[in-house]
Amino acid sequence: MGSLIAQIVSVTLMNLGSLRRRLWMSLAMVLASAVVVAILLAFLAMAKGFEETMRGAGSSQIAILMREGSSTELNSVILQDQVNLIGASAGVARGTDGPLISPELYVIVDGIKKSSGTEANIPLRGLNTAGMDMRTNMRLVEGRLFTPGTNELVVGAGVLREFDGFEIGRAVRFGKNLWTVVGVFATEGNIFESELWADINIIQSHYNRGNSYQSIRVKLENDGDLGPLQKTLEREPRLNLEIQTERDYFASQGKQLQYIAIFGWIVSAIMALGALAGALNTMYTSVADRAREIATLRALGFSSFSAFCGTVAEAMVLAVAGGLLGSLAAFVFFDGLNTSTLGGSFTQVVFSFEMSPELFLQGAILALVIGFISGFFPAWRAARMPVIVAFRHGA
Amino acid sequence: MNDLYLIYKNMTRKPLRLFLTCFAIFIAFLIFGAVTSLKSALNSGVELSADNRLVVFNRINFTKSLPIAYYQKVAAVTGVKDVTHLNWFGGYYQEPAKQIVSMAVEPESYLRVYGEVIIPETQKQAWFNNRQGALVGEKLAEMYGWKIGDRIPVSSNIFTHKDGGYTWEFIVSGIFKGNTEQYDTRHMLFHYQYFMETQTFGGDWIGWMALTTDDPSLNEKVAKVIDDTFANSQNETDTSTEEAFNKAFIEQIGNIGLIIFSVVFTAFFTILVVVGNTMALSIRERTGEIAVLKTLGFSSTRIFRMVLSESMLIALIGGLSGLAAAWFLVEVGKTFLAQFLPSLILDGNVALQALVFMLLLGLVTGLLPAFNALRVNIATAFNRQ
Repeated sequence: MGSLIAQIVSVTLMNLGSLRRRLWMSLAMVLASAVVVAILLAFLAMAKGFEETMRGAGSSQIAILMREGSSTELNSVILQDQVNLIGASAGVARGTDGPLISPELYVIVDGIKKSSGTEANIPLRGLNTAGMDMRTNMRLVEGRLFTPGTNELVVGAGVLREFDGFEIGRAVRFGKNLWTVVGVFATEGNIFESELWADINIIQSHYNRGNSYQSIRVKLENDGDLGPLQKTLEREPRLNLEIQTERDYFASQGKQLQYIAIFGWIVSAIMALGALAGALNTMYTSVADRAREIATLRALGFSSFSAFCGTVAEAMVLAVAGGLLGSLAAFVFFDGLNTSTLGGSFTQVVFSFEMSPELFLQGAILALVIGFISGFFPAWRAARMPVIVAFRHGA
Repeated sequence: MNDLYLIYKNMTRKPLRLFLTCFAIFIAFLIFGAVTSLKSALNSGVELSADNRLVVFNRINFTKSLPIAYYQKVAAVTGVKDVTHLNWFGGYYQEPAKQIVSMAVEPESYLRVYGEVIIPETQKQAWFNNRQGALVGEKLAEMYGWKIGDRIPVSSNIFTHKDGGYTWEFIVSGIFKGNTEQYDTRHMLFHYQYFMETQTFGGDWIGWMALTTDDPSLNEKVAKVIDDTFANSQNETDTSTEEAFNKAFIEQIGNIGLIIFSVVFTAFFTILVVVGNTMALSIRERTGEIAVLKTLGFSSTRIFRMVLSESMLIALIGGLSGLAAAWFLVEVGKTFLAQFLPSLILDGNVALQALVFMLLLGLVTGLLPAFNALRVNIATAFNRQ
């Protein structure tokens, strides 16, 4: 047993030592596995970053109400009487100043993207203090909150990152209205960071929205319990609203980008197949090249098994080297890469690619698998080939 | 012995290697074809935009509407040939997930501004004369099985109907085609007047305007006159060419697209490099044989031609089958992605690009080893063995 291990080790070392002689072959193998790993990691990092952005946004303690049939806040219309009726409903948590309810309205404004210098949509959300308190993970990074009744706004950290001209103290002009940026807020990286917030009454008057809103956020009395509010909606014909928890709402909003992630998965899986064929081919050629060497080893008394293990080990070392290279490339190019895209409501969602240790682990596993598969079959063939045949046809 | 026979024998001496090589090339071109088609589908709105067509939006953002009074003022600007106005309806059929691109328009001017819309004269007149009538795109009609004369309920996720509810009933007056295959006919158009009279809010507002100029060279001037007219009003306008607007909209989808495409293309080229390397090596392996052929009196050009044909053949077999599979994939994908990417099509341009890459692959992988083999001295080659 001990001698077998010694044999494997020495064959492996010998193979690795002679890699330089097969420089192009070895590089091709490394490259093939690097590509597979890099593609996979890039897509995983994107999906992960987006997921984080969407996940943190939804709370099950908060319900969101919109007009029936409108799938996003942008399309919905809600009137003041309806807000009052909801405020009086059972199931709504109450604070010292009455029900914890936040009627909200947003308009879309243009910002200039730093990356491309072109205009892109940003939501300017109007809300009241209860609405800000409801977003429990919101904290001010810089400056202060807007003063109700003034043209002041606070800007999400994501907007500040991706768009030009939203620094504190800056005056921002949307149409005829001038706004002053007075603060920057963060919401642990979730989707609200892609928004601008201002006083609801000012937005209503600047944009001729009268007393209308688009959504109502309600703090629920019991976590996740929509029952009492649902009953109010059924009983009261004036309330043509639909209710869902904020968590469900954002989960459905996140679907669009999930399609991109799925697309990425499919593409990288298919690409991986192509690269795997390339790697297998390389190993076959490389082993065939050495058929005579391997036969010589076996003629010298090395077992077929150790010759087999040596070749597999060589392939795996090369694949892992490629995996490291691929991970490194993915890390350098993609980690923390800020980007934004059009989300469910026609507005920009800002998020960043995220490379977590577990992604690296997945990349490493993939590299090992590639190495094993592309080493196994050629090694198997080489080890089984009768020594005489190898000598005769090896070259 | 015929050259072709030799090439065939050389290619198939290691069937497994041939298969793996072709397979890797197949995959590379499959992805290339599919992804490039996807990319050009995303950009088709930009490519198809008429060069003398401008769009006028509210400066705040394109989702904000404009007062209808602006329409007449824009029509009066010199250099403006035809102008029409459009309102986004936010329509869906039966359930919110089945969204329909539907717009309330001013019928006669719309058809003048959008010359791509092809419709029989009788259907056109029928639409003009029926205020409840709607023009439906060919593909949209096909999707839901609508025929001329059908009464179809379309709901809006924005507006409410005066009679309560969110559903409007339209009568299909005509079914239109586009003048090119890429033109998206998945939308429907109906009378602005009917829309205004039956909705509960929104007043005399229009979503945006589209206009054609007398000549593309007037575009900039016309845009400036329009924007100046409404400067410092409650609703300032932003006029741009349709092309610029579409481009800006696509850019909103953003870097994501760019990132995906660059990752895929890097992968595509790396696979080609890896495969090309093996192909080149497999020919180099045969240096000895080539020396034998030379000894037998094969001329250098003949050997050269044989080696090159072999690598070309492999590149083309893998590449063309990959391209064919991509075409098939795109055809299938068309039906599933129709809602998002109506003009998904693997066109001649994409195929041509792919062909160029295939030829390059064959050329590069064949040329280098072929040169090396030719340069080699017969005696050294035998020694090497």
